[in-house]
Amino acid sequence: MTISTAQIFRQGINAILSQQEGLSRTQAEIASGKRIQTPSDDPSGAAKILDIEEQIATAEQHLRNGEFALTELYLEEGAMTGAQNVLQRVRELMIQANNDSQSESTRQGIATEVRALRDELLALANTRNASGDYLFAGFQTDSLPFSINGGNVVYHGDQGQRRIQAGPSSLVPINDSGIDVFQLIKNGNGTLSVDNASSNTGSGIVQSLSQDNSLVSDTYSLNFIQLTPGDPVTYEVRDSSAALVSSGSYVSGESIDFNGAVLVLNGVPANGDSFTVSPSVNQDVFATLNNIITALEAPSTELADNANFHNDMAEGLNDIDQALDNFLRIRSNIGSRLNNLDRQAEVNENFLLRMQEAASQVQDLDYAEAISRLSAQSISLEAAQKVFIEVQGLSLFNYL
Amino acid sequence: MANLLGIASSGLGAIQQALTTTGHNIANVNTEGYSRQIADFSTLPSQRVGDSYAGSGVEIGAVRRGYDSFVVEELRTRGSKLGMASAFESLASGLDSLVGDSDNGLASALEGFFNAVQDVASDPGSISARQIVLSEAKILTDRFTQLNENLQGFERDANNRIDSAVGEINGLAANIAELNADITLALGGGGEPNDLLDQRDALLMQLSSKVGIISLEQTDGAVNVFVGKGQQLVVGGEARQLEVVNNPVYPNRLEVGVSQPGGTTQIISQQISGGELQGVLDFRSRVLDPAISELGRVAVAMTDLVNAQHHLGMDLNGQLGGDFFSALSPAVIASANNSTTVPVATASLTIDNTSDLEATDYLLMYDGAQWGLTRTSDGAFFSDPAGNFALDGLTVSVGGTPAAGDGFLLRPVYGAAGQFGLELTAPDQFAAAAPVVSSQALTNSGSASMSALSVSSTAGLPLAGNITLSFNPDALGVGVPGFDVVGGPGGPGGTIAFDPATESGGKTFTFAGSGGLSFTLSGIPDTGDVFTLSANAGAPGDNRNALLLGAMQSQSLVDGSTATFGEAYSGMIGGVGVATRQAQANLQAEDSLMNNAVAARERVSGVNLEQEAAELVRLQQAYQAAAQLVAIADTLFQTLLGATQR
Repeated sequence: MTISTAQIFRQGINAILSQQEGLSRTQAEIASGKRIQTPSDDPSGAAKILDIEEQIATAEQHLRNGEFALTELYLEEGAMTGAQNVLQRVRELMIQANNDSQSESTRQGIATEVRALRDELLALANTRNASGDYLFAGFQTDSLPFSINGGNVVYHGDQGQRRIQAGPSSLVPINDSGIDVFQLIKNGNGTLSVDNASSNTGSGIVQSLSQDNSLVSDTYSLNFIQLTPGDPVTYEVRDSSAALVSSGSYVSGESIDFNGAVLVLNGVPANGDSFTVSPSVNQDVFATLNNIITALEAPSTELADNANFHNDMAEGLNDIDQALDNFLRIRSNIGSRLNNLDRQAEVNENFLLRMQEAASQVQDLDYAEAISRLSAQSISLEAAQKVFIEVQGLSLFNYL
Repeated sequence: MANLLGIASSGLGAIQQALTTTGHNIANVNTEGYSRQIADFSTLPSQRVGDSYAGSGVEIGAVRRGYDSFVVEELRTRGSKLGMASAFESLASGLDSLVGDSDNGLASALEGFFNAVQDVASDPGSISARQIVLSEAKILTDRFTQLNENLQGFERDANNRIDSAVGEINGLAANIAELNADITLALGGGGEPNDLLDQRDALLMQLSSKVGIISLEQTDGAVNVFVGKGQQLVVGGEARQLEVVNNPVYPNRLEVGVSQPGGTTQIISQQISGGELQGVLDFRSRVLDPAISELGRVAVAMTDLVNAQHHLGMDLNGQLGGDFFSALSPAVIASANNSTTVPVATASLTIDNTSDLEATDYLLMYDGAQWGLTRTSDGAFFSDPAGNFALDGLTVSVGGTPAAGDGFLLRPVYGAAGQFGLELTAPDQFAAAAPVVSSQALTNSGSASMSALSVSSTAGLPLAGNITLSFNPDALGVGVPGFDVVGGPGGPGGTIAFDPATESGGKTFTFAGSGGLSFTLSGIPDTGDVFTLSANAGAPGDNRNALLLGAMQSQSLVDGSTATFGEAYSGMIGGVGVATRQAQANLQAEDSLMNNAVAARERVSGVNLEQEAAELVRLQQAYQAAAQLVAIADTLFQTLLGATQR
């Protein structure tokens, strides 16, 4: 079989060129550390890499969102701790003031301190974050949420709650509206509240108020009757339509039961004294504090004033406890959100790690393999070059 | 004696001619397309001398080529396939490197955009975070348009290649026709014009690498060449011209045509098989068009869906969100050949469901009786006499009076990436907030709450007034509890049923006429408890719409709701990668087949210098012997002369 000279040359050159091509490809792989240079090297791998990189970017963004959420929630938790401390101090002061050994002037002093505490609470409710946004304004983050108008505290925010994407399907709230924290607080014991008429002249003091399952929700008035001094004191309870619900003789320390409500009074109410028992309503914590200040500042020269004062203090203490409960609820919500964020961050980090591993598996070069391939290819190239020179040197013309 | 001298000189002459042939072979060892020539010795007619014949010497009967027509035919076929594979591969590899370059890619820009949106969700009141959304969106749209521009560059590249290939084909055809004439003339004079034949073979080889040909040798030695489905390119000594013409429907797209009698041009691109031309045409229809359409589909999907969600939000100024990206409209292109008789046929295309769009063009043609719609990606055909079609998230309708042969190109997505642009200009116009807020009255004493508030349409937004829901145990009649609804235009109105005894776990309501408001009520309300839905205002801290926009990154919103924006893009990259990989494998296979074909031809027609060297030695020896014969004849003659002179 004849092989043409040109064909011998071409074969030699082709062998060298194809070795060179392989070598240069391996070189590019080693230089970049990537197995895939262009999508055609591994089309499904190349598409997968893009998808994985998007997942990685998303997970990193979720981690960043989570960190932002942590900052916000820690700030809110700090404000809530401050608010709790304020109310605890108010509570202590009230218990101190409720003691009969206090004089009018010492109570005035306490009132002044409570007033300062109210302003401190107001400042906490108007806390701003690093960007200058108000924490407790709902969505209205650039409006001062609470201001004092005519002695009353007014809310200017809304009931919005901002949430953060901390994971693919995890939306974590990062704030609570001022309404939720400071305003939606039931007064009394949460179900019922009792209020003494300010015109009361007896020494009847509310000891406790509770209810059982048979409670019929309504506003009741409890009236005491003693037609002539010295007679036994009797009472009657009427509902909102003035129908008689219950009546009987009053004994100090014994409970007055009606329609599921259980009220215990101490002392001796006077004829015409009355108390109102009504379903709890929402009362904002600033109104509670204002009521307490008003009670502390009221003159208390007579026995009746004292009873009214004690009743107001008991009422205020109930309301403060309700507010503290609410603050506690908010704080435990924050706590569970923080836990949630921690767990989510862990999940995100694990996911990130897995994705990075997957990306590495798809695109990273096996250096050991590539380098041994490189040396094999250089040997082949050298051999091809040697063979080419050898074969080209052979010619009959050398001998002519 | 004279006879002996005659024999000697005939030998010298013939051997010299053979040496010339060998020298010609050696000289042409590197000439492309050269076929080794062989001088055939043959005896001169012998003379009768007495009872026997005496030889009278030698001559060169013919100088022929080492040639096998089957081998050459095979070589041309392979050349045609290799030309196609090579053109396809070089274009595909170029595209492959372009889309594979992550610096130009969309992936990082998509991530940047959605990350910026999520950063706004963290801090919706921040103008700087909003500004970053705008700049990231600008980067994204720039990447889209840049990538589209680069892809369109391949379309121009394909046009240039078609243009220059057709020019070369026409030049080669003219040369072949000239050679045909020369060869016919030479053959008439007797003897094979070997070098002319070689030249023609070489030209035919070059031609077949440009376009697949059929060649038929005629009895007069001329070769007739046909392309496509029997379109004449060379007939004897005459060459026809291929033409480059604009596609009547596709803008900026060149096609191959032949002139017809009467001055019209017939497009034969579809019939071209093999050669660089087919490689380019195939690349255009099988790799480039799908890639541009896929990119366009991502652009259309992002524009439509992001805009739709943005419309459902509220910006920092309390306005409903406007277009985030510039609105895109699908292209309808009338064929340049459409009848101009008034009323001319018209076609319209609307996108109903962006998520169902296919990455393809459609051809709408009227055949005189009915309209036919062809999906170009897979050739699926639909027909309807009235020309109304609804498919792939599209609605097609026609108007006017069509004439047979009228046609339209419908491009819902192709090239849309080039128009992908940012409409929003000011950071405060980014609608991060939702347009409706809910609140419960401070006086509510029950445990009911409202949650999962969302809007789904812009109808009735922003809310004209508050919608209040107040719980009434007898709202729908005595003992049938629910909420009395005031101010809900187009909603159920009046009352909605809610039974705390059985539905306290949560019941979802939708007010279609009021922004498609949807919300869930749960818990146990007390009589008179009030919930209010009102138009949002200000609310710099509201990130609800930004969250929804950010979540679109991981939602399957493209390709029949099976792929995210990023996945649709990576699918395009994968598609180009697969096509290129196939092209590379194909090229490799064709390359090795070509090498085999070349080796086969070289075996028959190639020059081997060793062989020629041996031939030289052989002829040299024969020449020396023939020269010796002259010397002997001379000696004989001198001997005779010497003898007779005495």
